[in-house]
Amino acid sequence: MHSITFDQGIWLAVMSIIIGIDFWLESLYIFRPIIVCSVTGWIIGDLQTGLIAGSLTELAFAGLTPAGGTQPPNPVLAGVMTTVIAYTTGVDPKTAIGLALPFSFLMQYIILFYYSCFSFFMVKADQYAEEANVKAFWRLNILTTAIVAATYGIVVFLSTYVAQDSMQVLVSSMPEWLTHGFEIAGGILPAVGFGMLLKVMLKGQYVPYLIIGFVVASFVKFANLLPVALFGTALAMYEYYNSKDKASIVHNNSRKGEDYSEGI
Amino acid sequence: MKESRKVLSKSDITKLGLTSSFLQASFNYERMQAGGFTLAMLPFLSKIYKGDKQGLSEAMKNNLDFINTNTNFAGLLMGLLLSLEENNEDRSLIKGLKIALFGPLAGIGDAIFWFTVLPIVAGVCASFAAQGSVLGPIIFFLVYLGIFVLRIVWTHLGYNLGIKAIEKIKTSSQTITKAATILGVTVIGGLIASYVHIDIATQVSISDGHILSIQKDFIDRIFPNILPMGYTLFMLFLLRKKMSPPLLIFGTFAIAILLSGVGIL
Repeated sequence: MHSITFDQGIWLAVMSIIIGIDFWLESLYIFRPIIVCSVTGWIIGDLQTGLIAGSLTELAFAGLTPAGGTQPPNPVLAGVMTTVIAYTTGVDPKTAIGLALPFSFLMQYIILFYYSCFSFFMVKADQYAEEANVKAFWRLNILTTAIVAATYGIVVFLSTYVAQDSMQVLVSSMPEWLTHGFEIAGGILPAVGFGMLLKVMLKGQYVPYLIIGFVVASFVKFANLLPVALFGTALAMYEYYNSKDKASIVHNNSRKGEDYSEGI
Repeated sequence: MKESRKVLSKSDITKLGLTSSFLQASFNYERMQAGGFTLAMLPFLSKIYKGDKQGLSEAMKNNLDFINTNTNFAGLLMGLLLSLEENNEDRSLIKGLKIALFGPLAGIGDAIFWFTVLPIVAGVCASFAAQGSVLGPIIFFLVYLGIFVLRIVWTHLGYNLGIKAIEKIKTSSQTITKAATILGVTVIGGLIASYVHIDIATQVSISDGHILSIQKDFIDRIFPNILPMGYTLFMLFLLRKKMSPPLLIFGTFAIAILLSGVGIL
């Protein structure tokens, strides 16, 4: 059993402010759980737990992406809390993912709330555009980003430093079958994310590739996923050049047709 | 009539590649990325419309329309639009191109960066991190740092190609998206086999000392990972039936805890 010191709470808050801005702007992708968990682990002095938690949480969140304007459960809070809960309560990181989820949902809903609220700022933006007021336009965008950043700092400080004792009491009062259930769920959870990816990507014509990737990974022994990725690259290149050839044949045919009619 | 106002330098376009990161600075449900999109181009629009307050205002208002595109490729579109602004092209052409292109760019970008690169990099790096190696997060960071730097390249590309870019993007977007999807789907097949864990704990005792484990002696021998694949496809089925992801996450927890409680998992 460990505890988060006041200083560590502050540092985690500072980290979350920086990473929260990155998630808001989607620039460096340091908001992904694999980075968040590792840095959190490093700050609380348990890098190993951070790395293990990072590996598990990253995969659980692989499909929960903000592509297409949707807001997924928050990966930053999931990363911080999975690591912190595993560290302070001593549970397995797999179990900790489950316990971290409420924090992840909380932050997701806060962001959704901001998405709605910030619509009101657009009235101001229109007005500044009308006036060609460059400085005010900058201030407006900095204000919205700063609100988000501050929220991350506050939520993470409260969740890690202030709430840790009640978290410990909660976890230690859970019966064995319940913590085991959380652990099992942590192992199954990536299925939801992969399901979400497939919902966007999987059409009938791509089913063979899903089967190939699945069978290769099921029956070939390897240390990481690189071979599957190379398999996929080969198939993708094959398809790319194939359909490019087809496209140029169609293109040439239509050009010939035009020439013919022009000849007449 | 239309005179070109070439004022932007190469380093301006490089800077635009970096400021394109402001894309989502004031993201909201009404206009999505409009505020940040305008902000990113503002320093350069100011330069083009120096002393022309009316022109700057028109350009700002034009960019405040609804837009939602891919964060990595936004610079390409911004560079393209700025080259048109510099050329003093018709306002309706600029507006039309922006509306015509942000969708396809979002499609290609999401297919490449979210649905292909992320599962692969996450899968590979997570396997390092799982062994307690710092290489996992470091490689992950470096890959995405590289992708971030590429924003500058896309932006120059968009600016230099100008109008020529439109045809190119429209004709090749389907082929690229298709190839990226194939790679992504193959890797997801591998990810399901490697990272979704469902083990049946139930054991059947046949006779004294002979215990049959359903998982080890039955499922693993016939088809390992069939349960993870089955459950993932079940999730896909429910998602297609319009069930919400949070509901499925809660449902998965409920089932896992229930089955753990009765000793099946």
